Amino acid sequence: MASVVTGAQNKRPNPNSTSAAATREGDQLIITPLGAGNEVGRSCVYMSYKGKTVLFDCGIHPAYSGVAALPYFDEIDPSTIDVLLITHFHLDHAASLPYFLEKTNFRGRVFMTHSTKAIYRLLLSDYVKVSKVSVEDMLYDENDIVRSMDKIEVIDFHQTLEVNGIRFWCYTAGHVLGAAMFMVDIAGVRVLYTGDYSREEDRHLRAAEVPQFTPDICIIESTYGVQLHQPRPVREKRFTDVIHSTISQGGRVLIPAFALGRAQELLLILDEYWENHPELHNIPIYYASPLAKRCMAVYQTYINAMNDRIRTQFANSNPFDFKHISPLKSIENFDDVGPSVVMASPSGLQSGLSRQLFDKWCADKKNACVIPGYVVEGTLAKTIINEPKEVTLMNGLVAPLNMQVHYISFSAHADCAQTCGFLKELMPPHIVLVHGEANEMGRLKQKLVSQFADSNTKLYTPKNCQSVTMHFSSEKMAKVIGKLAEKVPETGESVSGLVVKKGFTYQIMAPDDLRVFSQLSTANVTQRITVPYTGAFEVIKYRLKQIYESVESPPVEETEVPTLIVHERVTIRHESDTYVVMQWSADPISDMVSDSVVAMILNIGREGPKVTPIEEKTQEEMERMARKVVHSLMVSLFGDAKFGEDGRLVITVDADVARLDIKSGEVECENQGLRERIKTAFGRMQGAIRPIPKP
Amino acid sequence: MGTSVQVTPLSGVYGENPLCYLVAIDGFNLLMDCGWNDLFDPSLLQPLSRVAKSIDAVLISHPDILHLGALPYARKHFGLSAPVYATEPVYRLGLLTMYDHYLSRRQISDFDMFTLDDIDAAFQNVIRLKYSQNYHLSENGEGIVIAPHVAGHLLGGTIWKITKDGEDVVYAVDFNHRKERHLNGTVLESFVRPAVLITDAYNALNNQVYKRQRDQEFIDAILRVLRADGTVLLPVDTAGRVLELILILEQYWAQQHLSFPIFFLTNVASSTVEYVKSFLEWMSDSIAKSFEHTRDNAFLLKYVTLIINKSDLENYAGVPKVVLTSMASLEVGFSHDIFVELATDAKNIVLFTERGQFGTLARMLQVDPPPKAVKVTMSKRVPLVGDELKAYEEEQEKIKKEEAVKKASIVKVEEVRATSSHLSESTKGDSMVIDPASATASPKGSSHFRGQMDILIDGFTPPSTSVAPTFPFFENTAEWDDFGEVINPDDYVIQEEDSNHMVVNGKSLDVKPDEASVHLLLDSTPSKVVSHELTVQVKCALLYMDFEGRSDGRSVKSIISHVAPLKLVLVHGSAEATEHLKMHCAKHVCPHVYAPQIEETIDVTSDLCAYKVQLSEKLMSNVLFRKMVENEISWMDSVAEKTNEKVLTLLPPPSALPTHKSVLVGDLKLADFKQYLSTKGVQVEFAGGALKCGEHITVRKISDSSQKGGTGPQQIVIEGPLCEDYYKIRGHLYSQFYLL
Repeated sequence: MASVVTGAQNKRPNPNSTSAAATREGDQLIITPLGAGNEVGRSCVYMSYKGKTVLFDCGIHPAYSGVAALPYFDEIDPSTIDVLLITHFHLDHAASLPYFLEKTNFRGRVFMTHSTKAIYRLLLSDYVKVSKVSVEDMLYDENDIVRSMDKIEVIDFHQTLEVNGIRFWCYTAGHVLGAAMFMVDIAGVRVLYTGDYSREEDRHLRAAEVPQFTPDICIIESTYGVQLHQPRPVREKRFTDVIHSTISQGGRVLIPAFALGRAQELLLILDEYWENHPELHNIPIYYASPLAKRCMAVYQTYINAMNDRIRTQFANSNPFDFKHISPLKSIENFDDVGPSVVMASPSGLQSGLSRQLFDKWCADKKNACVIPGYVVEGTLAKTIINEPKEVTLMNGLVAPLNMQVHYISFSAHADCAQTCGFLKELMPPHIVLVHGEANEMGRLKQKLVSQFADSNTKLYTPKNCQSVTMHFSSEKMAKVIGKLAEKVPETGESVSGLVVKKGFTYQIMAPDDLRVFSQLSTANVTQRITVPYTGAFEVIKYRLKQIYESVESPPVEETEVPTLIVHERVTIRHESDTYVVMQWSADPISDMVSDSVVAMILNIGREGPKVTPIEEKTQEEMERMARKVVHSLMVSLFGDAKFGEDGRLVITVDADVARLDIKSGEVECENQGLRERIKTAFGRMQGAIRPIPKP
Repeated sequence: MGTSVQVTPLSGVYGENPLCYLVAIDGFNLLMDCGWNDLFDPSLLQPLSRVAKSIDAVLISHPDILHLGALPYARKHFGLSAPVYATEPVYRLGLLTMYDHYLSRRQISDFDMFTLDDIDAAFQNVIRLKYSQNYHLSENGEGIVIAPHVAGHLLGGTIWKITKDGEDVVYAVDFNHRKERHLNGTVLESFVRPAVLITDAYNALNNQVYKRQRDQEFIDAILRVLRADGTVLLPVDTAGRVLELILILEQYWAQQHLSFPIFFLTNVASSTVEYVKSFLEWMSDSIAKSFEHTRDNAFLLKYVTLIINKSDLENYAGVPKVVLTSMASLEVGFSHDIFVELATDAKNIVLFTERGQFGTLARMLQVDPPPKAVKVTMSKRVPLVGDELKAYEEEQEKIKKEEAVKKASIVKVEEVRATSSHLSESTKGDSMVIDPASATASPKGSSHFRGQMDILIDGFTPPSTSVAPTFPFFENTAEWDDFGEVINPDDYVIQEEDSNHMVVNGKSLDVKPDEASVHLLLDSTPSKVVSHELTVQVKCALLYMDFEGRSDGRSVKSIISHVAPLKLVLVHGSAEATEHLKMHCAKHVCPHVYAPQIEETIDVTSDLCAYKVQLSEKLMSNVLFRKMVENEISWMDSVAEKTNEKVLTLLPPPSALPTHKSVLVGDLKLADFKQYLSTKGVQVEFAGGALKCGEHITVRKISDSSQKGGTGPQQIVIEGPLCEDYYKIRGHLYSQFYLL
């Protein structure tokens, strides 16, 4: 049923497919990671179903720079994307958004939560400032970010929005402030994209919610693979113990951490620890991030996105107003005279303040470096976790690595137990793993395969640009409403009416009800036209009768003036000696009838006044004439045709003999071809010599 | 076939009484709002008391007394235990509003309708929702989805959409379509054709001036008084419309660099603003935007000083200032006391920004012409001293002993423990006892009206239809001599005494408005309520300006006709307003307009027939849709087939069915058509309601008055002599429609 398509040619969605083609092929749901497929970084997952297209996240790869850091946007046509959903503000989930909004032909709508948007603005401005690439390599600048802000719309947790038939809402993800998991519903097929999530409540964030509905597809992160986190109290104790022992031995503690997100959690832990240990009050804690300082206002405002614990504290004082932590602007302002704790970014020790301090402190074995979260492949932080003997400093010199390196993960990603538990509760039929190193992801896949062995769950681990295709035979349900629904039809009875499609819902109704159940309305257009005519009204009637089978003339008492009604559609009134008035209700057939009537009346006029009605022929005479005409026409067509004894016309062509009953039009003939030909010919003759029958 | 819907008003129809309506959907009882008034008159809640136990869910739309005031009382006394649904701001600000009312009441009377604990208990089971969150009810509400949507008017204000089986019931009261400084306009207009719309007629007869003009007049009125050394009193609600006023003042003060102090004084002022600061995501787009860009929280107030204590105003006694203070009704709270102080000075102004509730002092003062003098009761809580305190303690001791004895006789408990527990219990619940002597000694001998009806007004008689408590009628006996009204100096003597007491009172109540500290008030020293009446000469200016933030009559009508519900229920509005709107809507919106009386149950079950069918793929592949606005539309011929018990499938017809009558779909507006024709180079003009195109052709729309609510098709007539123009214009006319 589902298959992973490899090869670059056939997986590319065709952006030019017409909507008709899309409905036929629309049952195919395609998921393509443009980034974060078997890797961590540049999250970007493309999804398309029923001609609707959603892109989840739009990040950059922190280990690369310039265009190389972008997801593979050239695999898709950005202009076809309807909705772009950003889960949280981290660079690997949001940082290519200004590029995507400003430098591509993307025309859809972008959504993120309120707090994500507020921090996104600050974070990216900072990113642009600190990223040391040449101007040509810059993906975007400050102005692009400001412009992108106007295009970003906000969504609150649980708020349901609908864009172009795509319904979506988000749940708390628990990863950082404002982090969301998006549930997308297209024509009844639900897809959950978790982004980064954590099922563990911490000091300020709520744990990720378990959605109320089971999604059909769950696109889930696999950062930690099959690893298990230690319980939070244990990690916190290790963290504080390492710091306490280091500073009590006169050492310095470096905590390289990303400016926003987990850092706030660590600061809450440290502040609380210092509060409970008065003996540490003379040891300074520095937090070297002007960015985080600017973001504090955001943390102070969106307390409603945090957990109850923080909200209760908020009632008394602001928990983010730290008592023992002072900001540090740069290394120049840092008075490095004794034991201290410094939290600095970036988390990967690539450059910046954290690297400067690392270079300064790495040779002293009294010092310690606590790596508090996930580190991306290819960064120095990843290297020192393996505790090499020597490291290369920023100035190119090689120095011994004597400082202790501790890896205590506080990164709020789900571990194996959380992921398994989460999926067990949801039981989605399809699981797509993204956002994880290939090895970790593979191990997690194996684990999940064994866990869901007895269920019908399918697991996918697509690489970047590799599409996963699934089929959902969605049954279109419609609601018959209003007058049309007064009686439920039995098998074989016909149902005819207007189908109104709005998004993916169908309603069938009688035309009269259209105005009642939708914003649309129907109209009747009555046409009234005066045609100059000076002749006798009887002439019109006579001529019409030759053309049309039904020409009624109601008594004059009812209509005041002589009137003709043709096929119950067109009314002709002889209102004065100089003109007749025609009236009908617009519809293609009536329009045609009226046109012929007009043409006829004009013709009579042209022939002059001398035309007078000829006495009506009797039915019998008519029939006789018809026989004569048919006979002579048949002769001219088939040669040998004469009336037989039973009144039927006997037509002989070569050896074949056909008998045609002129009254009923039935043909008796052994030769199929001849019979059909005669039938057709006779039909045409009838059309020519008789008035147009009333439908 | 459809979902059964019944509406029963429990309060708040044909009048301005609090809102409270019972909506039963397939037997599931939803209580829409649970309001009370500022007077806390239990007689208003009679109808609620009869049904409270059968209620399955309560939906609250706004954080003010009129919409949620009765929650604690109903929970305590009527056994209303259903879960309550509200948005986060409605929950939070509603809670603060209730605290403020309770504290204000408690300071001047032995208010015992409910306690702070009751308020907390009532708000504990509030389920907080986000705007546009589809919340699926469970158990016997299975299948019902409720969703709050932006209403405007107050922060967090909600219009409720209740959906069952695809049929919508929309409850929209007190909405505002205008975007304001701190709020977005309502999204009511985005709901089209709900099965039932329940809305209010409160503003049906009101029309508003332009916002800009009104704001300017408001600022001018304030500045005029301030520049003449006067004080501006703005009686406001605790946490509702006051937010908008604060922003207006902040903005103007910032623009003009004014230095007149502004005070926001309620028992919970600082908490209110603190919480409001964290509700940015519920406010207008511009506020959200400014925060995202510059992190400027609009409610980081620079000019408005938040105070929770009237004594803080003492330092500014003679200084021109603006005071925003609760309650808006002037019945109780700081506004009541401050009004009494300010009223006698012609320099000052009392600026009402909302219509006072019926039967309140604010309402009396808003009549035209305003009364010359009003009688008010000044009450305050003073600690017991001397003999009284002794008597109280003796009393307590006696009770303690009695109960201890009683208890000891029933159960064998340690004597000490029993006594101590009783001590704490009795001091908590019973610490405040009225001194009967002082009550009877109050000057005009009308002490039996004290409590919630402590305001007596000159020249006021309530209409016979009113259910508000009746007030005694006092002849205005003011005597006049050559120098004007004869003044009784005693009144003023008392008043001076009064303000002295107030200081003491204020100091004793120096509490932080937190939940924890609020409880301190209950455990405070034994005290009593002292009250007396006095006549206040109203010399200060009185002014009413509409800052209620509700859509005005004209807009309400146009919104209703845009929403075009199949059935409409009108509530909450004076009898005239309700009738007026009812007539209007019956004529222009829909034939089914209801305005039920209290406890009158109306059945608004839709008479809509509907059944579900499955559309076969074969059928749909032959249907070509045409796009019209948001919809796609097509004609479909099919035959039904029952595949199994439940499912009915539509298949393509086996043979060609007779052609159907063709349908023209589209909405022709003559004005738009005129525009269109002129772009096509046709000479076109309106003449006598018809569109004259070219020389001879006329296009008319026949409004069929027998078709109520315009549910039938539009009737368009095109007529003219046979000529080329005729066909040309007909072609243009056809181009405005889709032919199916």
